[in-house]
Amino acid sequence: MKVPRPTIPTIDDLKRGLREIRWNLDIFVFIQLVVVLTIFILFLIVPLFRITFNAFIYGGSLSLRWFVEVFTDPYYFSPRIVFTETFPYIAVEGISGSLINVIKRPTDTGVETIILLVGYDLGVIPNTVLVAVMTTVFSTIIGFVFAFIFARYKFPGSEALRIILLAPLLSTPFVGAIGLKKMLTSEGVINTLFYDILGIMPFKIEPSGLMAVVLVQTLIFYPIIFLNAYTAIISIDPTMEEQAENLGASGFHLFRTVTLPLSLPGVEAGALLVFILSLEDLGTPIVFTGTNAEKVLTYQIFRRMFTPTGYISGEATALAMILLAMSIIIFLAIRKYVSLRRYAMLTKGGIWRPRTRKLSLKVSLLVYVVAFFTLFLALQPHIGVVLLAFAGEWGPTLLPGYFTLENFYTLFRDAAVFRSITNSLTYSITAMGLIIVLGVSAAYLVSRVKIPGIEALDALVTLPIAIPGIVIATGFFLLFLKTPLDPIINGAPLLIISYTVRKFPFTVRAVFAGFEQVDKALEESAINLGANRARVFFTIALPLVVLNILAGSMLSFIYSMSEVSTGIVIGDANHDTAPMTWKMYDILFKGLEGGLFVPAAMGFVLMTLQFIMIVGSNLLLRKRATALIGV
Amino acid sequence: MVKIKAVDIVKRFGKFTALRGISVDIRDGEFFTFLGPSGCGKTTFLRCIAGFEMVDQGRIYFDDEDITYLPAYKRNTGMVFQNYALWPHMTVYDNIAYGLKVRKVPKEEIDKKVKEVLKLVHLEGMEKRTPHQLSGGQQQRVALARALVINPRVLLLDEPLSNLDAKLRLEMRAELKRLQKQLGITTIYVTHDQEEAMSISDRMAVMDVGVIKQVGTPEEIYLRPKDPFVADFIGQGTFIHGQVLEEEDGRLVVELESGLGKVEAIPSDPTNKPRIGERVLIAIRPESFEVGVKDKLNLFDVSIYHVSFLGDRKRIQAEANGVKFIVELEPTVNVEIGKRIRISVPPKSTLAIRMG
Repeated sequence: MKVPRPTIPTIDDLKRGLREIRWNLDIFVFIQLVVVLTIFILFLIVPLFRITFNAFIYGGSLSLRWFVEVFTDPYYFSPRIVFTETFPYIAVEGISGSLINVIKRPTDTGVETIILLVGYDLGVIPNTVLVAVMTTVFSTIIGFVFAFIFARYKFPGSEALRIILLAPLLSTPFVGAIGLKKMLTSEGVINTLFYDILGIMPFKIEPSGLMAVVLVQTLIFYPIIFLNAYTAIISIDPTMEEQAENLGASGFHLFRTVTLPLSLPGVEAGALLVFILSLEDLGTPIVFTGTNAEKVLTYQIFRRMFTPTGYISGEATALAMILLAMSIIIFLAIRKYVSLRRYAMLTKGGIWRPRTRKLSLKVSLLVYVVAFFTLFLALQPHIGVVLLAFAGEWGPTLLPGYFTLENFYTLFRDAAVFRSITNSLTYSITAMGLIIVLGVSAAYLVSRVKIPGIEALDALVTLPIAIPGIVIATGFFLLFLKTPLDPIINGAPLLIISYTVRKFPFTVRAVFAGFEQVDKALEESAINLGANRARVFFTIALPLVVLNILAGSMLSFIYSMSEVSTGIVIGDANHDTAPMTWKMYDILFKGLEGGLFVPAAMGFVLMTLQFIMIVGSNLLLRKRATALIGV
Repeated sequence: MVKIKAVDIVKRFGKFTALRGISVDIRDGEFFTFLGPSGCGKTTFLRCIAGFEMVDQGRIYFDDEDITYLPAYKRNTGMVFQNYALWPHMTVYDNIAYGLKVRKVPKEEIDKKVKEVLKLVHLEGMEKRTPHQLSGGQQQRVALARALVINPRVLLLDEPLSNLDAKLRLEMRAELKRLQKQLGITTIYVTHDQEEAMSISDRMAVMDVGVIKQVGTPEEIYLRPKDPFVADFIGQGTFIHGQVLEEEDGRLVVELESGLGKVEAIPSDPTNKPRIGERVLIAIRPESFEVGVKDKLNLFDVSIYHVSFLGDRKRIQAEANGVKFIVELEPTVNVEIGKRIRISVPPKSTLAIRMG
């Protein structure tokens, strides 16, 4: 009987494998790979493993105890199934709160009715999911409807309106939400304007708690869907719709069978991103502390570790693990959809005239009204921030008492505030430098080097999108206390690293897109003429993507400046080395002098920076796109 | 200048095998073309020579030096890419000087060499231009100058003329050949355009699905195809299957399928003759046919279904027993669609090709 011989790789096979690796991995690429991998493993993967380790250890041994405790505690997970005597013999208990609360309050002139939008409270874990789901659904509806209107119809002012609708992309931590809070309370601008002054609302409306979080997040995040859906719809080959019309489809049937399915992949990718952003948002719940808005995962983890004594409870790490698991699942879904998305482009390349129609006057008016109302709501945070930044004092009136530049002087006069701003600038610029070096290397590797497993590197460097900042902060604390990187001694190193790792994907994406547009033959012809890889990289590859690098790093810089989660956690460990966002938090919530006005001025500065950087990077990339055509 | 030897080259991309054992000898100073349909592996082979792809098996030699695993940047080959691959961020001068700077040639010598090579390609005074200020033909010349200026051991050309319009293509073709002969540089040329390959090459290799079907001079390839694929891919022709009945004085008597009778033919490849009883492909070039009976051999009565006037000749498409004939005759010949004519072909132009 023959015994099948196991296939052992022969010496020749091994030699060939080694030769193939050596062929593709010259010393320059090898160094790039090692450096990028080291940074990401040390400051992203190891901290996550450290949290995992902590969450599964109870009393010194391996245990699921923390997870059991979290899931059996009604505070974290309140719905309970109970059996009853009467039909249907089963019921769910433990859900508190209600959708709305009606309050009647006596005033000088009579009684006013305030409708409070509250929302149900199901416990921390279901709340987190529920808030993310509602935010995603509402932003998708608003974003998609607007995208469809602006992609398909032309009416006077539609271009300008389309750009203004993207304004909420300029977000300022805390202050935006505070601006909105100021606008939406029963004494806020909206109620004052529409109820007290104009009298066109029969009652006052005030969102509160979790519903307020959903509202704020929706208004901040809908532009992401809007952008994605708009791009998807205008890149549908018009002949596809024309073919369907030619075959007799029209109106809603055409939309449902052709337009919607073709634009869906883009919308889905955007919606999943919004879901992750909602999950990891810490700034908004902090603003609404004191209500059930506290009962979301980010805030709970934050509260449990905001005492940097060095001790982080297993409970907090278990919560962090749950949050991490949620966002990673969504991240994997995004990666699936983003690759699926390519089918939208399968038809043909090139630029075509999108199908647009003129709107009748009546419908135009309707669009104006809806768009202006949404804009009015969406711009509340920004209007609020601007008004507050220039306000001297602001009681329960429509506008501030008087306007002043005093708040901006304070930014320079108050040593602690000024130091936090220079700290933020230093960290963000340093991080930007690191991001450029690492990000360009990573983008080059993923785009150019053919070795097995290089896709894993791509996944690794985009992973930070999916890791909530509060989780990274937790991991850093667990890992680096009592090391030379201890945030209590000096927060700077860890903040720079955190900014670098977290805001890395923006640059990598931009630079990767650049490399993909550059014909590989441009580099091969240099190699052919005798240049080694390093020389090709610096003389050919880099100069050709320099605008992408600039655009990408501008985005990374500005998102570092406005980073919240790790900024306030690590910042609180050592106030002297804390960044701007921590100082804003500090002034707002510790009842210090300056109240709302100084943080608003800081927010205004951030907003201005964001505006410049986003417009600048868009201009750069657009110019590049045309500059390369025809060569 | 070198001679190039490739021995049994195999290249796989995942599960797809692009090259299935390519062996070829290219002589010193020769203009050698790889011709084949897209996807046949000709560009892959060129990239293996340049060092952009690592071969999975086999050896490549420049003269006696084994360069199989030598990195691309150490091979000293000059390659011209299909889309020229000029660097848009550099001037013409910087593009051409790049390879010299890499070689640490002194500044004055670079200036001198760039001037010389620009003169060679008729682009004097264009140093300061950037690539997008040049026409397609000029870009092509810069790419050629950039490859030549480093004095490469081999010149590699990857469909360099395919982006030019028809008139310019003819001019550049002549120009390329002139330069190559003037410099005496061993040149490998890759194209899918058979007319281009025939007119420019000293020798050529016809490739299909990762193997070389035939190597030879253009005349040999056209007049003596060794393989049904080569006969079909190069030029036009009438193809009829048949079986060898007997052999006499180097002539074969072949019984044609489709009831078209017997023909006398010669083996297309005298070194590899079909045996008696073997199934062969009979190939006849359009211009080999004659009208009117001169012999009792190799006669066909065909009915004409299409006639096109090509100026110097008439091309006739005709049919007999389901076999299609392509016949080219004098333009003065009187033929009409729907009519039957009798055509014949001399045995020396009736090629019997062994199947696969």
